[in-house]
Amino acid sequence: MTDIDLDYLREELLQCRRCGICRNAVYEDKGFDGICPVWKNSSGFETSFMRGKIQVALALLDGELEKTPENAESLFQCTLCGNCTQICAAEFNPAESLEQVRQVLSDIPNVVRDNLVEKIIKYDNPYSEDNTEKRKWIEGLGYSVPTKGNTLYYVGCTAGMRLPDAAVYTSEILKSAGIDFAVLDNEPCCGSVMIRTGKIEDAKTNAEKVEEIIRNSGAERVIVSCAGCLKTLRKDYPEKFGVKLPKTLHILEYAEELIKEGKLRPKKIEEVQVTYHDPCHMGRELGVYESPREVLKAIPGVKFVEMDTIRETAICCGAGGGLRSYDPDLSKNIGASRISEAEETGATIIATACPFCENNLLSGKKLTNSRMEVMDVVELLAKSIR
Amino acid sequence: MDSKIITKLVEIIGEKYVSTRPDVLLAYSSSASTGYDSIKPDAVVRPGNTEEISRILKIANEYKIPVIARSGGSSLQGEVIPKEGSLVVELMRLADVTLYEDLRSVKVGAGVTFGMLDKFLNKHDLWLPVYPESSLVCTIAGNVAVNGAGPGSSTEGCIAELVLGLEVVLPDGTVIQTGTEASPHVPGPFLRYAFGPDITGLFIGSLGSLGIITNVSVKVTKRMRQFHYETYGFETAEQAEKFLISLKQNDINAVFASIYEGRILNFFMDMLGEEYEIPEHDWPDFTVSITIGRMREDQLTSDVALAAKLCESHGGHVIGIRQLPQGEWDDRMRTFARSSYAHGWHWRILYHHQTPSNWHASVKVIWEVMDEYGLLGHTAGFQTGHSSYNFYPHLYFDPTDKEEEEKVKEAHVELSKRLFKTGAVPFKLAPYWVEGVEEMKDYLNFIKAIKQTLDPNGIMNPGVLGGL
Repeated sequence: MTDIDLDYLREELLQCRRCGICRNAVYEDKGFDGICPVWKNSSGFETSFMRGKIQVALALLDGELEKTPENAESLFQCTLCGNCTQICAAEFNPAESLEQVRQVLSDIPNVVRDNLVEKIIKYDNPYSEDNTEKRKWIEGLGYSVPTKGNTLYYVGCTAGMRLPDAAVYTSEILKSAGIDFAVLDNEPCCGSVMIRTGKIEDAKTNAEKVEEIIRNSGAERVIVSCAGCLKTLRKDYPEKFGVKLPKTLHILEYAEELIKEGKLRPKKIEEVQVTYHDPCHMGRELGVYESPREVLKAIPGVKFVEMDTIRETAICCGAGGGLRSYDPDLSKNIGASRISEAEETGATIIATACPFCENNLLSGKKLTNSRMEVMDVVELLAKSIR
Repeated sequence: MDSKIITKLVEIIGEKYVSTRPDVLLAYSSSASTGYDSIKPDAVVRPGNTEEISRILKIANEYKIPVIARSGGSSLQGEVIPKEGSLVVELMRLADVTLYEDLRSVKVGAGVTFGMLDKFLNKHDLWLPVYPESSLVCTIAGNVAVNGAGPGSSTEGCIAELVLGLEVVLPDGTVIQTGTEASPHVPGPFLRYAFGPDITGLFIGSLGSLGIITNVSVKVTKRMRQFHYETYGFETAEQAEKFLISLKQNDINAVFASIYEGRILNFFMDMLGEEYEIPEHDWPDFTVSITIGRMREDQLTSDVALAAKLCESHGGHVIGIRQLPQGEWDDRMRTFARSSYAHGWHWRILYHHQTPSNWHASVKVIWEVMDEYGLLGHTAGFQTGHSSYNFYPHLYFDPTDKEEEEKVKEAHVELSKRLFKTGAVPFKLAPYWVEGVEEMKDYLNFIKAIKQTLDPNGIMNPGVLGGL
């Protein structure tokens, strides 16, 4: 399942007629206002956007370019956000093909990626920290959370170890709706970054480990609060590895249901203008656009406003595809650009549905000295049900 | 390229915007022109303003380095493929837009695409009423450099007709401004034919071989919002051709008008028929697809009624299927990208103009060549301006089949020679149009003299404009 037919991949890449629409198409009728966040926030040479990346990929595969880390750099300077795929008229998926190219060329040394993967294998998280930290936030809840149960909250590395508030708010929502939940004792990383950066065999081994641990937990439903985890568990595991997990839901998909069923009744919060950033993994990849918006709109006091680029055409936060580790400065610059776009709406809060996005948007906010508040939708919802 | 030249370039625009990396050079070795051999430049620069470009050209001129100006990289006839040892000057950072609302004009930097400008103008209820079908990629400056056309051109003509002035950096680094803006005392661009001869026109269609266009001033008009889409059927090509001419003679504002012969229409239906929701229909031998646009509803109503009358007077009938022209018009900013993918091949294109009354001659020759060489392709085009029809036939090849690609290149040259003899003319003076053409000798010598005067070292995009 992880094998890639090289001839087929090459044919796919040759689908590109080099029209260049993947660079900065502004197409008002369709909601595009620029396509490639890397092009916009870097030195902007041709290799920064997909047309150039495909030429580089073909040249590396054909031996026209030497397989060196420098020559492969542009392949990793991409968030794989998929915005180019939305406008590309060719019958192939450029972002998916680039992910496969990374896999096929994984023998080209890439210190950042290799370190990241090693950490995940060794520590079960990419942050080189004691993995039991992922449950530390539970200590402040005031009640115990089992490690096994019907509903499993799969916390994710970033929420568990960098932005634990997202986990606290998620648990608050579940608790308020009367949902008993469990959190794994030693939750492994979902391995998303392994898949994105081409370390597919390691990702497969990791996925099998995750499956076994979740199976042993007795879970019949898995709740996540990270868009990256959602896409990996719901889509990549079955499609790439044949690994099937119990029904996997993002907390906001679940919260939308709970609100409709009357199990969650948001109360008025202090009036605030909020815009929403679509995480690429949740939006373009899985088509989950409505749930976060419905949840926000269900909170009395929230005045919801949209940014210029939203849903299928939303500009990425800059963190995905391994870019946050591979080229942190570029990644943060993209985050800053998204913050600026949010500011144009007049909103004071940019809410999202992914701790990884939130983390990068916070970096972007810092870069721009913006007064924009960055938060997860779960925070607003949790505060409205207290 | 000598490292001391690179150092000088870095001094001008900073290290960030100068590259000699192998992967970057490779990415600039080609463009949207498939079917052309890739050539890597020695360096690529991305200057941010006219002053930097002027300094870069002074260096290039001093060291006799070939310079390829490039913006969107969407040209289709090899215009921006580098030369050995060349320097690519990429212009996408020049993204300023200045509106002169009272003058009904706008000035744009060489990195502004039609899509960007359209969004900007829409806020002011204005538009630039010509849309190259690569509008989301190509820049106004790049389009001016090739004198392109597109939807909207059936009324307005090529982009040249809308240009009011240009800022150009000459090969020796001198910066000139043409049109009214040549004077520092004018409020902005309002007249192209100021200060003597049409110097603006000299650079339009010059394919970057006489200088680098850094700013373009163009006419803008109130955005048209009243449209009617219609198809008209005819039994003969002559009827369809005469119908198009009569639309012009009667001042019917067909902003986009095309003749489709039967087999090409079927081909188009295979590509986009379902998406445009065009119903099944037993199409006639010749179909004219038209978008009529007017500022006012009463004007539109009048045009629609008269067009139907004229159609019938030429032996045709109103088909009544509107999805075809509407799909073409609504998708006008990206039809190039859409159609280039819809049939699954790479291709060579042979832009040319023909008179509407000789539409059939181009179509005949295109089919002859495709049949002789055993190639697939199409004969698409649209009415353009006062009395012309802009063809953009494609010849397809499989990019993995080198033999077929070579065959397409040969067929392409042969097609240009045959089209020339039918009275067709190029708006891009590619070398294959004029090689061995005795009748054009004096004209080409004149072009050569201009080139030598402006660019004695021959650094600007050598070999592209008629082989010069």
